[in-house]
Amino acid sequence: MNKIKSTCIYRYIRVILAMAMKDIKSSLTERAFLLTSIIIPINFLLLFLLFALTGGQAPTALVVEDKGPFAQQFISAMEHSNSFIIHQTTSSDAQKLLQLGQIVAIVTIPANFDMALKHGSQIELPVIINNLDVDFTNDIRRAVPLAITSFYANAFPNQVAVKAYEIDTYTHDTDYVHYLVVSLMVVSIMLGGLLQAGSNAAREYEKGTIKELLLSPANPLAIQIGKIVGSMILNSFSVALMIVVIVFLIGVWPQHWDELFVFTLLLMITFVTAGLIIGTLVRRRQAVVPLSIGLSIPIFFLSGAFGPAIWGDPVTATVTQFQPVYYGIAVFQHAFHGFTTTPTGLIVDGLILVVFAVVMVAASSIVIVNVRKRGVAAK
Amino acid sequence: MSKKEKKVFSDGSEIIENNRSLDDQLSIDLQDVDIYDGPVAIRINKLIKRFGNFTAIDNLSLIVKYGEIFGLLGPNGSGKTTTINIISGLSKPTSGQVIVLGNDITKDLHTVHASLGAVPQETALYEELSAWTNMSFHADLYGVVGSDRGKRITEMLNLVQLYERKDNPVSTFSGGMKRRLALARALLHDPQLLYLDEPTLGVDVQSRRAIWDYIINLKEKKGKTVLLTTNYLEEANALCDRIAIIDHGKLVVLPNTPAELKQRYGDIIMDIETTSSITSQLVMHIQNISGINSVTQTNNILKITMSGNDLSSTGNIISLINKESNIKRISQREPNLEEIFLSLTGTGLRD
Repeated sequence: MNKIKSTCIYRYIRVILAMAMKDIKSSLTERAFLLTSIIIPINFLLLFLLFALTGGQAPTALVVEDKGPFAQQFISAMEHSNSFIIHQTTSSDAQKLLQLGQIVAIVTIPANFDMALKHGSQIELPVIINNLDVDFTNDIRRAVPLAITSFYANAFPNQVAVKAYEIDTYTHDTDYVHYLVVSLMVVSIMLGGLLQAGSNAAREYEKGTIKELLLSPANPLAIQIGKIVGSMILNSFSVALMIVVIVFLIGVWPQHWDELFVFTLLLMITFVTAGLIIGTLVRRRQAVVPLSIGLSIPIFFLSGAFGPAIWGDPVTATVTQFQPVYYGIAVFQHAFHGFTTTPTGLIVDGLILVVFAVVMVAASSIVIVNVRKRGVAAK
Repeated sequence: MSKKEKKVFSDGSEIIENNRSLDDQLSIDLQDVDIYDGPVAIRINKLIKRFGNFTAIDNLSLIVKYGEIFGLLGPNGSGKTTTINIISGLSKPTSGQVIVLGNDITKDLHTVHASLGAVPQETALYEELSAWTNMSFHADLYGVVGSDRGKRITEMLNLVQLYERKDNPVSTFSGGMKRRLALARALLHDPQLLYLDEPTLGVDVQSRRAIWDYIINLKEKKGKTVLLTTNYLEEANALCDRIAIIDHGKLVVLPNTPAELKQRYGDIIMDIETTSSITSQLVMHIQNISGINSVTQTNNILKITMSGNDLSSTGNIISLINKESNIKRISQREPNLEEIFLSLTGTGLRD
């Protein structure tokens, strides 16, 4: 009895390994699809980083007509406001840049800036704004007064009566990019998993090889687990590349490598399995690519990618709790920065991710069993 | 039971024939499904398959005897592949029963799959992988393990003369080589029953002959039961012990040997070439002669199907034709299966 049981287990494992190896070999021969699955998530990461880096600061020309110490202090206040990309230039060149659409605004420090301040006189800073985009326009409208306030607080500390007394939750500030990059890694794991596994599943239907699987007496769950393992191994190339980019290029070093490893594994299981379901249902690799990207982008924005989701719209914050990226971002923020970004906390978030992984594997098995029951042949 | 009927085809040819009462024959022969008590590999009973409002298989009943090569013939879209998909569990029947090697396919598909070797129409080979990898993957799926595994793969590749190409990607193989590899793969786990869906579709003449030899060997040397679908009547004639012809999901020719079918559906065909075409009245006149099954005229050639071996009416036919035209040539032959199909369905084999 035990011998029969061990033979069954041996065959089960053999099917899993054979399936995984077959998928890996097949994918490695189709380099275009393999590269797509690796490059698209990395592209996604870089694209949003560029968006974050360029979109957050407005290109502004600064015309400095006064070389005095107050003028220098004001320039410094503007530079440290994290709101401007400053181009110091002449008035005429600044006008040209504005006309060419290369800058959002021109801020001029007038020639009598230092003198006026020394005499306590009111002084006007001319600010010319290209108000074609309200987002950038408002950035300038907010940032210039903030720079003035900051300048005053530093230049005339005794004259500023009200000051903020800041108490930080965490010992250090986190750069916006460093926060965002962690969220991007989660969504890139999602995208890579969907693309890789979706392509692996759809390829079987596209090339008619699904018949080889469905006609075999092999256990469908073993076949599906084999596909999950194969896709995860392939997906791990993309994930490893992302970790290298994040750690060595962007310089975000994880605080908890063990958490990063465990949660990466959980997310890969979840999204690879989701990819298998998508590939099985759409049966065309060309449909898998847009569908995967189309799913990833809205989920990325929904899941608290730029800051904790709970800080956003209450409806969005509630809806997003029904999908795994939300929890993925939370546990990754903890793994990288030690942050807690959900009210549920790390352990509950991790357990919820385990549940998502189990549910997805079960759903995927149901899908393949259903395909076998209903038959693959349309006619 | 029989009546004369005139059919006119799109190419202008017309046929006047004695319409055999196929329903009567069906009712008699279908009883064979129930009364045959020899070893049966496949028993299909009142099988129906519908896709929405479209009925792909319409009350199909037949048996495939153990150890025979059985051919399921029919034009494209006739329901052959749907039938074979149901037998192999790739498609679910709407109603009816299919028993494969004693197992009901709706209840014990796993056992059916373990003892079934399949060569689907599109071969289902992983073309990006080598022949050996394809065989090795199949071995793992079917539990062909242990020390004999490599030996068995080698044996099968040698059987289809592809061992030398074992390390080449399948994508570099010709259509015939792919079919042979699919055949080797299907035999790897030593199945009792083999199904071949259009085994020589798109294969060149030389490879076709080689594949035929393998299939005949499977039966003669290894005692396998083979079910094949084809729309090449020549192929069925060369390979099959018995054939059934289906069209629109129904049997139009009951399972029989190719020779018996020829005997049964038109014994002798006389081709008479005339210098000019004869009138349809004369065609009808010839048709009314005793022992004539059908008469068609296409491009000054009369094709007359005569029942039995009674050629006594030949002189009468020649006299009648000479009244309107002159005879250039007369020949006599057995009907081919294409003509049998045409006479039964009113259409040729559709591509």
